[in-house]
Amino acid sequence: MQLTGSYKFNHEQQAVWDVLMNPDAIAKALPGVDELIPVEGEPDTWRADAKLGIATVRGKYSGIVKLSEQNPPNQYRLTVSGSGQNSIIDGTTLISLSYDADNQQTILNWEADVQISGKLASIGQRLIGAAANMMSKQFFQGLEKQLPKS
Amino acid sequence: MGTRIFGSGIRRREDPRLITGQAKYTDDMVLPGMVHLAMVRSPHAHARIVNIDTSAAEAMDGVIAVYTGEQVTLNPLPCAWLIPDSDLITPEHPAVAVEKVRYVGDAVALVVAETRYQAEDAADAVRVEYEVLPAVVNPEAATRAGAPQLHDDVPNNIAFRWVASSGDEGVEQAFAEADVVVKERIVQQRLIPTAMEPRSAFAQWNDAAEELTVWYTTQNPHIHRFVLSGVTGVPEHKLRVIAPEVGGGFGSKIPVYADEALTAWVAMQLNRPVKWTETRSENYQVTIHGRDHIEYVELAAKNDGTVTGIRGTVYAGLGGYLSTAGPGVPTILHGLMYSGAYTFPNIRCETIGVMTNTTPVDAYRGAGRPEATFLIERLMDKMAKALNMDPVELRRKNLIPPFENGHDVAIGLTYDSGNYEAALNKALEIVDYDALRREQAEARTKGRYIGIGVSTYSEICGLGPSQVAGAVGFQGGLWESAIIRVSPAGKVQAMIGASPHGQGEETTFAQLISDELGFPVEDIEIVHGDTNQTPMGWGTYGSRTTPVAGAALVLAARKLKEKARAMAAHLLEAAVEDIDYEDGKFFVKGSPDNAKTIQEITLMATVAWDLPEGMDPGMEESQFYDPPNFVYPFGAHIAVVEVDPETGIVKLKRYIAVDDCGPQINPVIVAGQVHGGIVQGIGQALFEGAVYDDNGQLLTGTMMDYTLPRADDFPNFELDHTVTPSPHHPAGIKGVGETGTIASTPTVYNAVIDALQPFGVEQIDMPLTPSRVWQAIQESSSNRGGD
Repeated sequence: MQLTGSYKFNHEQQAVWDVLMNPDAIAKALPGVDELIPVEGEPDTWRADAKLGIATVRGKYSGIVKLSEQNPPNQYRLTVSGSGQNSIIDGTTLISLSYDADNQQTILNWEADVQISGKLASIGQRLIGAAANMMSKQFFQGLEKQLPKS
Repeated sequence: MGTRIFGSGIRRREDPRLITGQAKYTDDMVLPGMVHLAMVRSPHAHARIVNIDTSAAEAMDGVIAVYTGEQVTLNPLPCAWLIPDSDLITPEHPAVAVEKVRYVGDAVALVVAETRYQAEDAADAVRVEYEVLPAVVNPEAATRAGAPQLHDDVPNNIAFRWVASSGDEGVEQAFAEADVVVKERIVQQRLIPTAMEPRSAFAQWNDAAEELTVWYTTQNPHIHRFVLSGVTGVPEHKLRVIAPEVGGGFGSKIPVYADEALTAWVAMQLNRPVKWTETRSENYQVTIHGRDHIEYVELAAKNDGTVTGIRGTVYAGLGGYLSTAGPGVPTILHGLMYSGAYTFPNIRCETIGVMTNTTPVDAYRGAGRPEATFLIERLMDKMAKALNMDPVELRRKNLIPPFENGHDVAIGLTYDSGNYEAALNKALEIVDYDALRREQAEARTKGRYIGIGVSTYSEICGLGPSQVAGAVGFQGGLWESAIIRVSPAGKVQAMIGASPHGQGEETTFAQLISDELGFPVEDIEIVHGDTNQTPMGWGTYGSRTTPVAGAALVLAARKLKEKARAMAAHLLEAAVEDIDYEDGKFFVKGSPDNAKTIQEITLMATVAWDLPEGMDPGMEESQFYDPPNFVYPFGAHIAVVEVDPETGIVKLKRYIAVDDCGPQINPVIVAGQVHGGIVQGIGQALFEGAVYDDNGQLLTGTMMDYTLPRADDFPNFELDHTVTPSPHHPAGIKGVGETGTIASTPTVYNAVIDALQPFGVEQIDMPLTPSRVWQAIQESSSNRGGD
């Protein structure tokens, strides 16, 4: 499933980039996640547990979060693979930043490819688009909160 | 003589306990020390199992045991319909997947815990590593080169090729010499049976006595004992299967599944009672689906409307494994139905049974026969249009003329009795067909699109002679048996091997006995659903309970009646042949005032102080019954719909069903069976369809996504009937459990296509949802309708 979206930060591009690369900030912003635990031997890779309600499937999911293809401060790839509730979620998102000088905003565009299997696919597939949009918005809002007020 | 109980619409005695919540289902069972079983199921449609880590689950609160497939010592699940004259391959179906999973929901491990919640939570904590493989869900695509292969021993995923033919040469000739040939590609979409009660099992193992008792959501407890014995190794005399209240089956509770056998196996491992009940999501993923054909069918006719041949090639999706009756449904129960109610001289059906990464497919209400009736009736309408004939006239021209005792059709069956045109005429009269056609024409001038669909059908049910069962590869018999036992005070218990679960035989069978013997109907109890309490029978499906078990019951009652007559002769000091019977009383011809009641006779036979020479004491008889033929109910259904071209919404305005199931024991119960059947058939036409994505994920996994018909989707059905007795059933009765499902899908489908004639729409894949109807109207090249 292909999903896209965007978010506008009222901050400089470098500041946005820095918070996007900060595992503590990511952990705080990811819905339902308390902390990211680094995976030994794999750079920019963390293990995380999340409590989530997607469609009517609520419960614990655990998975791996990985940052790759970094091209600071413009683009990187965020890969999430998780399982739980007899479901498997595999998603990869290409995140691109650009600066809109006129409005003094950093514009973040994301393009995701998500594969969902198991119970979540049968129960929630048609709601996934809406859930993904909502959760990405929560994520970016959570990151923005951690930036100094502009 | 009072009102005859046979034919009386007395209330269903099953209903008070059902509507007051006092019925006891399998999941209601509670025993001290019981534990709960939950399954770990594959989220992938096709994958290799790399590793299973149960340690986290085992460490959780309340968890008693976690088992993987390698630890489970059950025998593989059998396929029990080994169709002959085919190259059928039956790939192994382990109770728990070991190397590979083949559909979403395939069990890979099981978790036992003190509570249901603990079991479900721990099941989620079992870590399974998969190597995901490409999946295939479309049965036609699965046979193509390069398609993912499910089973190493099933090349190209083809489990079998099967052909039924009246003679290939004749068929070829009919099509070569036809004036007109019409063709259609029909997708018989997958349906989910959706019994109100999901499947459940509750097992108790007595370690000391080595006895296993399984409460089981089953349509056929004796078959399940037979097979469960083979799967678990517990001998049949130590194995008791009990079907408590069963909340609907529609075929989905016929097969042998892994879950019930695993419940029994866990009970034996732990020596504690074990309960397993599927969730609705599991029910949608794991309990069998129905239909799933891709069909290429064609009909040949002469210009005068004489149909000269019908043939079809069917790709039948079977799912990831062969279900119990899976191979028999799209073959024996489908191809042999291609004559319908007509005199088609040349018939051929070729079925390719295909494994796909989907839930296994088996019998769903009608099982093979709705699919056959759909394609026949669809082709008849298409032919009528091609010949510019009224669809009713084309049918009339090809209907089998009335027959009372046997009619051979080209495909090799002998229909028992039929009067098809009478049923058609009655339906046309009810709907006032000519006036309706005028109304339709007038409405079109005002931009309203009314459609009329007519189907005439004949179907095979009352399964069936055991000899035929054997000849067609069904791995069991199809006879039934009954015991009628009368207590000293004249109360009756009748034990039957069949296992009704919503069809009302507790009521109708009491009526049959009352009608034969004169005991008041309230003094008669029908006992069923417990292998320790009932004689052997093969179960309730294929509209067979009344045609087969009912026949056993009637014959047992007639035996008892002869015994009572002999006893009466003895008590009245008369010759047996001088004894008359009326309304529960036996008397010497001409002296009805000096009568012995059946109750008095029962008491005297039971105390046995003074029996006639050679008579055994007691009032009890048993009877086995193996039917000499199937029964062939028939009828004509008519639907009137209106389609709103702006929205594509189909409104069902009228539905007329004239069915002939022979004499009706209880017309209210017959109407209930017909109503339910019509609703499920129209569900296929307009609403239902199981949808998988290309990865084999079931997208319609909930009742929010899978559209079940609702009461407010329907008008009041207008029912009527004709009565053509079966010549071979002792009471002339035919089955009626599936007729509605068999007739209603094409009837409504044809009505919608008829409504869309002005738009030039000729075909839409089912279900005919508003978006599909709207789309078809938009896409039609000859969009002549509307403004």
